[in-house]
Amino acid sequence: MSHDHGLPPKSSVSRWFLTTNHKDIGVLYLITALFFLVFGGTLALLFRLELISSGADLLGSMGYNQAVSTHGLLMVFWFISPFAFGFANYVVPLQIGADDLAFPRLNALSYWLYLFSGILMGVSFFQGTTFAGGWTMYAPLNTPAYIPGEGLGATSVVLALIMFTAAVTLGSVNFLTTMYRMRAEGLRMRDIPIFSLSINLTVWMMLFAFAALLAALMILASDHILGTTYFQYSIDGTTMATDADNPGASLLWAHLFWFFGHPEVYIVFFPALGVMAECFQTFTGRRLVGRKWFIISMVLVALQSFVVWMHHMFLTGINLPIKTIFMATTIGISLPFDLMVFSLIYTMAKGRVRFTTPFLFSLGALILFIIGGITGVFLGAIVLDYQFRGTYWVVAHFHYVMVAGATALFGGLYYWYPKITGKMYNERLGKIQFGVYFLGFNLLYFPMFIAWETPRRVFVYPDGLQIWHTMATVGGFILGASFLIMFYNLFVSLWRGEDVGPNPWEYATSAEWAVSSPPPLENFPGVPSYATGKLEFLDDETVVERTERAPGAAAHGHAATDGGTATDGGAVTARAATTATAMESAHEVSGEEHANHASFWPFLVSLGGFITFLGLSGVRTGSVFYLTMAAAGGVATIGSLVGMTREPFHAPEMAIAERWPFERVEKMKLGMWTFLASDIVLFGAFIGSYAFVRVAYGWTAWHHDLIPAEHVTMPGLINTYLLLTSSFLVVLAMVAAERESKRGTVAALAGTFALGVGFLINKGLEWNHLFHISTETFPSGWNLSTNIASSTFYLTTGLHGAHVTIGLIICAYMTVRAWNGAYQGDDRAIEYFGLYWHFVDIVWLFLFPLFYIL
Amino acid sequence: MAVSLITYATVVFPMHGGDVRAPSAVFDQIFEVFLLLGTAVGVVVVAYTMYHALKYRDDGGETDPYADKVERPEMGEMPTGGTGGRKVFYSFSISAIIVVSLIAWTYSQLLYIEQGPDPAQEEALEIDVEGYRFGWDFVYPNGHTTNTLRVPQDRVVRLQVTSTDVFHNFGIPALRVKTDAVPGQYTSAWFTANETGTYTAKCYELCGSGHSLMTTDVVVMPQDEYEEWYAETNGTAASGNETGQRIATEATALGGAPA
Repeated sequence: MSHDHGLPPKSSVSRWFLTTNHKDIGVLYLITALFFLVFGGTLALLFRLELISSGADLLGSMGYNQAVSTHGLLMVFWFISPFAFGFANYVVPLQIGADDLAFPRLNALSYWLYLFSGILMGVSFFQGTTFAGGWTMYAPLNTPAYIPGEGLGATSVVLALIMFTAAVTLGSVNFLTTMYRMRAEGLRMRDIPIFSLSINLTVWMMLFAFAALLAALMILASDHILGTTYFQYSIDGTTMATDADNPGASLLWAHLFWFFGHPEVYIVFFPALGVMAECFQTFTGRRLVGRKWFIISMVLVALQSFVVWMHHMFLTGINLPIKTIFMATTIGISLPFDLMVFSLIYTMAKGRVRFTTPFLFSLGALILFIIGGITGVFLGAIVLDYQFRGTYWVVAHFHYVMVAGATALFGGLYYWYPKITGKMYNERLGKIQFGVYFLGFNLLYFPMFIAWETPRRVFVYPDGLQIWHTMATVGGFILGASFLIMFYNLFVSLWRGEDVGPNPWEYATSAEWAVSSPPPLENFPGVPSYATGKLEFLDDETVVERTERAPGAAAHGHAATDGGTATDGGAVTARAATTATAMESAHEVSGEEHANHASFWPFLVSLGGFITFLGLSGVRTGSVFYLTMAAAGGVATIGSLVGMTREPFHAPEMAIAERWPFERVEKMKLGMWTFLASDIVLFGAFIGSYAFVRVAYGWTAWHHDLIPAEHVTMPGLINTYLLLTSSFLVVLAMVAAERESKRGTVAALAGTFALGVGFLINKGLEWNHLFHISTETFPSGWNLSTNIASSTFYLTTGLHGAHVTIGLIICAYMTVRAWNGAYQGDDRAIEYFGLYWHFVDIVWLFLFPLFYIL
Repeated sequence: MAVSLITYATVVFPMHGGDVRAPSAVFDQIFEVFLLLGTAVGVVVVAYTMYHALKYRDDGGETDPYADKVERPEMGEMPTGGTGGRKVFYSFSISAIIVVSLIAWTYSQLLYIEQGPDPAQEEALEIDVEGYRFGWDFVYPNGHTTNTLRVPQDRVVRLQVTSTDVFHNFGIPALRVKTDAVPGQYTSAWFTANETGTYTAKCYELCGSGHSLMTTDVVVMPQDEYEEWYAETNGTAASGNETGQRIATEATALGGAPA
């Protein structure tokens, strides 16, 4: 039964660079996230040391600002979510009955992008100064004009965040596809274990929220590197800022950031809630009370999370009706949490509560969260919120919430440690850690409520508050020390720990506890099924029997012509996902014909991306070193992507699976659709940004003041026709492929390519003309930096142009493949490309009127 | 002559903000109620949680004391909910009522803070505030610009706040007034100070290396002293909008009058 998917053993270093297995990657995530916990935690201890007395005598003022800013960024982005996703990677496929994620190589790519984005963040410290404008990165302090020195470190941080966001987006697409296509038979969405369910809702929020953040970061990076002026504004000589050229600059950032930032709170907290619910069920020996309502509450929160963001901006001058609405939605979103808290409390009733380390952390997290929740209601009262704005009340409140989440996740680490390692940790040391941790936590954060009048991110405070700040500093060190106990315990237990069987916890129910610890590479001893209402593993014959009897339950009816190979590289470039026959898949499960699951490409793609971004951080200085690095990295990235696309990689769909509501959407297509959903938000955020700064400036004055008469409609109109025609040709290519006409397929794809190139050439001519106009109003051309209108025009249509370019690269690749005889009788790959291409065209149909007519 | 001028000024421009409810009083009242209730709810809920955790702790005995009341989960079962959901709803309803009624109660206070006292009752002093890295400029109706905010006691002061560079936030914590200073836009806030003395204004949004030290003095003066001071600043500045000129004239008129 056992096989290795072509992977070296775990003791070999190369295994960890080649692996695409979800359990390996889960472990990599956990270890990397803990590294960033130490990184961010050390920074926190540094500035807590600074705060032991008033004044910046240790770090200096910029050192202090860098420490608080990067502490926030590291903890929010590089520690807490990836830590949760370490568990998600490891546990979700096991809980839902899948043998891996839907796109294993994409999963590895997510991890490596995450790791390298963190390394880039680390490198930024060595580029003069790193980012020092707070983790919320308010504009225009986040633009080069206000960053001391060359500011390359700050640019690196922005780029690192973009890289991180790419990792998150790939991960979201992957998890959603997995959870909707690969659930064990009989497992409806509402039936999946609560941790997996929390991850499902988390990735939905991630898919959309991070797309908004990506837009914000891309615009910011463009301000840093290309010289656009979205987040900058200038003053017309006088003292008052009424003549700003871009009066919407600051609030544009605030809106984009908080539209992401508030869902991010739940993105961080939901997995922790899932872990708490799992631990409560297991260690109380009770099923989650009010489970249905718990789930409904989570769904409500996930939906509402996108309509509360302005409560972070109550003092920015928004009007009373809007404030009232956002006050109501904010209170509304707090209520489902009340229900969830009571659901957890009543789960203990009539239970057999065992105070193991994971339960102590879960119970501790619940208590901390209750305090965080109550202090959050204070912030819901706007009159109080006004005065709490920018003070330690906010700092204390969100640490009680966020770090309560982290507390639950540490419980999760103890909970799944025996599953992951096959060894039991030392219970006594675990309990001691909890005691030290809980003491340190409250000593650190509770005094902040008392000293709440201290403004955030300052190193000066009144003498009267010294005692509380000193107490917090001491608490910080105690909290930090508790991790030494944890690291020691978990490390030493790898050797000294007792061996555990499949299930060390009485009353655990979910499927990860039904297999050995650690689970075998293929996860299950047969095909998992809940069809009878209880987990069982089906053998090959039963699978075949069942799929023959009810073909609807099988993956898909027909066999693929090319023998069932599929690749998962780059959603679009990948070849058709295979719908293997039930028979083939059954063999697949039992491991009779296992393809190689080792791939070095995800690592190389990410390394290339890292070099590219590091190079990009310095290109504005014109330095040869940075330019070379950017170019070399770019070549390496594209080369690796091509290598990844060409590598044979076999990840078949499951023979029997529960797939509601996407029974008829195969996994490649579903992946494509989810990716496009996030892309819609990305473009939506760009278009929204344009509308926002234009309204702030004055909708009609904009056209009059900022846009030259030379900016005419005709090039845009021609391009509209070119793109629409090309969309039609993609449809023809599909028809030709279906009819098995090789000539027709090649001709239609080549035609699409030609029209796309025509689009880019026309755009190039137009831009070149506008760059070099010389009129009275615009004596030195109309380029990216000329004004806010030119910035929005070039960047938004440029983003679209980049989408066209990517589409053309894929189209060229597919034309060559069609020439060599591919796709005949199986047009699915063309269909996936077509989805993307039509989407790009539709986006243009929005951009054309916005940037050429209105 | 002097007497009639004073009478005239008091009738047309009533100067007293002393009977106006200060934002700090509103804040203190709400904060006290929230603290009291928040602490009570926190203690009750945490105690209730601990009660459940301890009461139902596993005593290590062989037999399950609740075997006849609840069913224990089994390995491999399909996840379902446990019994006892009704209590969740009761508790949830109580918490929802507390939260919603508390916030609803603060809403009327919010309307007061948003709109300020009835303009007919008071004659506000309007001051423009400009944040810059790393300090504040206060521009008076007569055009006088200073780094120290001087305001008369017991009078409504309305601030129009902006920034000339990055995002700041202007707050005088003791007087419970605070608003964002956003470049390119104005926000407004108001306050009255019932006690004379020197307070501190601070920046509440990270704005760069000098953020921690971006503080300035706010001096609340007796009205007559303020008028005297203001009259002296008047010589240089002829500019100012209509309101500004009116207030300036009025200040001049009151300048030599006994309080």
